[in-house]
Amino acid sequence: MAVDINKIDEIISSHERSEESLLSILQSFQRELNYVPEEGIKRLSESFGVPESRIFAMATFYKALSLVPRGRHTIKVCMGTACHLKGGGLILEAIERELGVERSGTTKDMRFSLETVNCVGACAMAPVVVVDNEYHGHASPSNVHNILKKYE
Amino acid sequence: MGAISSFSDLDRYREKISSSTIEDIPRVLICFGTGCQANGSVKVAEEFERIIKDKGLKIGVDVGLKSTGCHGYCENGPLVAIKPKDILYLRVKPKDVAEIVEKSIEGDDVVERLLYKDVNTKEVIEKYQSIPFYKHQQRIALRNIGEIDPTSIDDYILRGGYSALVKALQMEPGEVVSEIEKSGLRGRGGGGFPAGRKWSSCRNTDGDVRYVICNGDEGDPGAFMDRSTMEGDPHSIIEGMIIGAYAIGSNHGYIYVRDEYPLAIKNLQTAIDSAREMGFLGRNILGTDFDFDIKISRGGGAFVCGESSALMRSIEGKVGEPRAKYIRSVEKGLYDKPTVLNNVETWANVPVIIKNGAEWYSQFGTENSKGTKVFSLVGKVNNTGLVEVPMGITIRELVYDIGGGIPKGKKFKAVQTGGPSGGCIPESLIDLQIDFDSLTEAGSMMGSGGIIVMDEDTCMVDVAKYFISFLVEESCGKCTPCREGLRRMLEILTDITEGRGKEGDIELLEELCDVLKWGALCGLGTSAANPVLTTIRYFRDEYEAHIRDKKCPAGVCQALITYRIDPEKCTGCMVCARKCPQQCISGEKRMPHTIDTERCIRCGICKEVCPFDAVIVE
Amino acid sequence: MEKIKFIIDGKEVEAVKDQNVLEVAQENGIYIPNLCSNPEVKSSGGSCRVCLVEAHQNGRMRLVTSCNYPVREGLEVKTETPLVKRIRKGILELMLARVPDAEVVVELARENGIEEPRFKKDEGDNYRYKCIACGLCVQVCEEVVGVSAIAMLNRSYEKKPGTPYMKPSEVCIGCGACAYACPTGAISIKDQGDTRKIWGKEFKMHTCSVCGKPYIPEAQIDWIVETTGKDRSFFDKCPDCR
Repeated sequence: MAVDINKIDEIISSHERSEESLLSILQSFQRELNYVPEEGIKRLSESFGVPESRIFAMATFYKALSLVPRGRHTIKVCMGTACHLKGGGLILEAIERELGVERSGTTKDMRFSLETVNCVGACAMAPVVVVDNEYHGHASPSNVHNILKKYE
Repeated sequence: MGAISSFSDLDRYREKISSSTIEDIPRVLICFGTGCQANGSVKVAEEFERIIKDKGLKIGVDVGLKSTGCHGYCENGPLVAIKPKDILYLRVKPKDVAEIVEKSIEGDDVVERLLYKDVNTKEVIEKYQSIPFYKHQQRIALRNIGEIDPTSIDDYILRGGYSALVKALQMEPGEVVSEIEKSGLRGRGGGGFPAGRKWSSCRNTDGDVRYVICNGDEGDPGAFMDRSTMEGDPHSIIEGMIIGAYAIGSNHGYIYVRDEYPLAIKNLQTAIDSAREMGFLGRNILGTDFDFDIKISRGGGAFVCGESSALMRSIEGKVGEPRAKYIRSVEKGLYDKPTVLNNVETWANVPVIIKNGAEWYSQFGTENSKGTKVFSLVGKVNNTGLVEVPMGITIRELVYDIGGGIPKGKKFKAVQTGGPSGGCIPESLIDLQIDFDSLTEAGSMMGSGGIIVMDEDTCMVDVAKYFISFLVEESCGKCTPCREGLRRMLEILTDITEGRGKEGDIELLEELCDVLKWGALCGLGTSAANPVLTTIRYFRDEYEAHIRDKKCPAGVCQALITYRIDPEKCTGCMVCARKCPQQCISGEKRMPHTIDTERCIRCGICKEVCPFDAVIVE
Repeated sequence: MEKIKFIIDGKEVEAVKDQNVLEVAQENGIYIPNLCSNPEVKSSGGSCRVCLVEAHQNGRMRLVTSCNYPVREGLEVKTETPLVKRIRKGILELMLARVPDAEVVVELARENGIEEPRFKKDEGDNYRYKCIACGLCVQVCEEVVGVSAIAMLNRSYEKKPGTPYMKPSEVCIGCGACAYACPTGAISIKDQGDTRKIWGKEFKMHTCSVCGKPYIPEAQIDWIVETTGKDRSFFDKCPDCR
């Protein structure tokens, strides 16, 4: 997949030139390009004078960052304690069955990436599934199909 | 310098805005907390706006309409409060709005079906403050949440905001520190270290640059009080930090916010920008020679970054690995400079303490745990949500008086406190006071204040496994005990929950706990044993049932349970058979069905969809 | 330099304030097993946890890693208490299960009474050769060499040193400092003829004009010349023939 170098440079130049911005630039890559591309790490390393290995290490450490492109929609199944007690695990399994992908995977048609998150702080609505930034509370294994169908 | 350039300017400004706001017009406060938004509060707000306009009423003149932060009673969202009558409507849908406007805004009536109704006594309660969930609360840190529009600095100022700052700036910095020391305020992030002592050590360390940090990396699963504060009352955190910075002599502050909280980041940024415009941040604050500003740093999805030294590395643009705290961060913290780091709730308490005095604050709470604490009451409890109560409240009061007990008449089993660093407290200790020291004695800890209620259907071995697998995922991997020990514990716990447990496993788990507790590098590792140790200590019989009898008494561990249909209750409605993803339920219409246990994957769907409660898990 | 006195294993010793306990112990002939720290590398230590000792100070006792615990007046250190032995043994057992082929670890484990770990030895996906993920190689590359070709990647039990994308590094100079520093011999460095292979990259070696032995990667010479301004001719002869 061709990566838009101009977009990468644009993201880099829109941040303050300080090492403090590294994580937030990587987050912007993730948000705007759907992943952290190799070229992005290279450009960032050159322009900040920070070793590539260090930036790469960050990309492998922080869970919000992905080295491979994610799907158009990101499903986050909450695995917080409250959600766990109320069957979050069963919901994850139901989604895995529905989409035919495992946790941390992306569907072949790039429609969904499936992730888990350790508590989204919406425990009162447990169990919770977040698709993109939309919260679906009181989810159940039998209604995951309905939750997901509106995302194209 | 901003709009307010002297102490007296603030009073004048407050007078000006208060004369232009009419307090006695009916006001509608709609909760825009995450829970209520997910339940549709945005649509409800739009409907209010439409209907009010349709009636020819002017918003802001005839009727006030405000979206606020989280009211806490998330279970019953979307919540709508009508002021000044103090009516609280629960589970409001757009179709209810016309009736609310007609009865409670234009008229002098209530919509009874939307009021709180006690599940046990069936009593209907109209007033906000009379509902059991709110009645027992003492809201100090949460004082403004739900009352103000978090994006409006005027709302905050109207409720007395930034007057604590004015007061602090007229005190000597050292006096501010000793006021906090005298208040007995202890860090609300987990460890409970006295905030004042931290400030004073930092202030007394030599250095030209000092930092203040707000830890908003709320990571304990089951805790969301900091999210609510950042989203619903960001100025109280900012004001607290400015006061702290003045007290210790710092000009730079950071708020580190968890990646999963985008709304918190947005509202904090808005608040910082308006505070700067007003002159509460920036150069020459309120005309003094004190400069201070705040930057937001966004986390990247790593639980360990809630640990202070890892958090600082993360702000610096590095991998968030903790380091040994042999030299404390008040001496060598961010960029190796003296640093005070407190969490969101701690900072939010600071302005009230300065404003009302240490003595006022210390009247709440217990001897060694002063003040109030915000808890998120979640799990198997009727009234889930956020509550703020004086320290020293018992578990029973929290679960039964405020939480309304356990749903569906189930039996209370335990509460889990302190997140992955805490433990499970059994029913036998239900009258335990909740304060820093009592929880630690019971083998758990306060943590950030998540209280997860567990009932008879909760398997305690599964709970231990849950926390350990959480920690395996979140361990940074730097030190051997945490990196290797946790995964070995997970292997053993997995074996136990899948029927491969053997004699000696419990003892081996205890040995590993010992290695972690003493040997790990940071707090994440040293406290990681607590969920396992407390469940072994209080629920050993459940472990033994899994290991010896290959049974999960609570019916949770999938490998040890079977699903079957009670032929007495089954009506043959076929709902389960249609929904079964394995198509392993068979039976004639109107005849009892059966499950082929060989093919059953124990997904739980049949149990969930059965209208007659005929599916039994054994 | 401020001199202080403290007690280690019942003996009063003198040291420089903030010197680490391990160093002082070694100066005084007290053996504390250790793996991940290196006196040449300032940020090293604290990760393998093998060198834990009891530190008693201000009425409080905790286990600390002696390799980076600063000595202060009033400190009392105990290196061989039942607690220290118990926890060290536990750590070594965990480590042995992770790297059953690392001779140093096998030996240390044996000294501490472990022949076989009670956990399943790592194999398959979990097999990490001899690496204990202590990070010393990365610290050497960054602090001593100044190249940062490798970093500690991933988290939890997936933690390991590596180059970006596990591809041959563009900046690695083939100096091998990482391999020399590694406490368990986990980094593969192969010199064959005038070629060195390390981290999946091949380096052409420079040959000594006197003895004809290939002794330093050309890339390392380039790096030294570039960063120190040293004359290239200096590298004509190997250290033995200079």
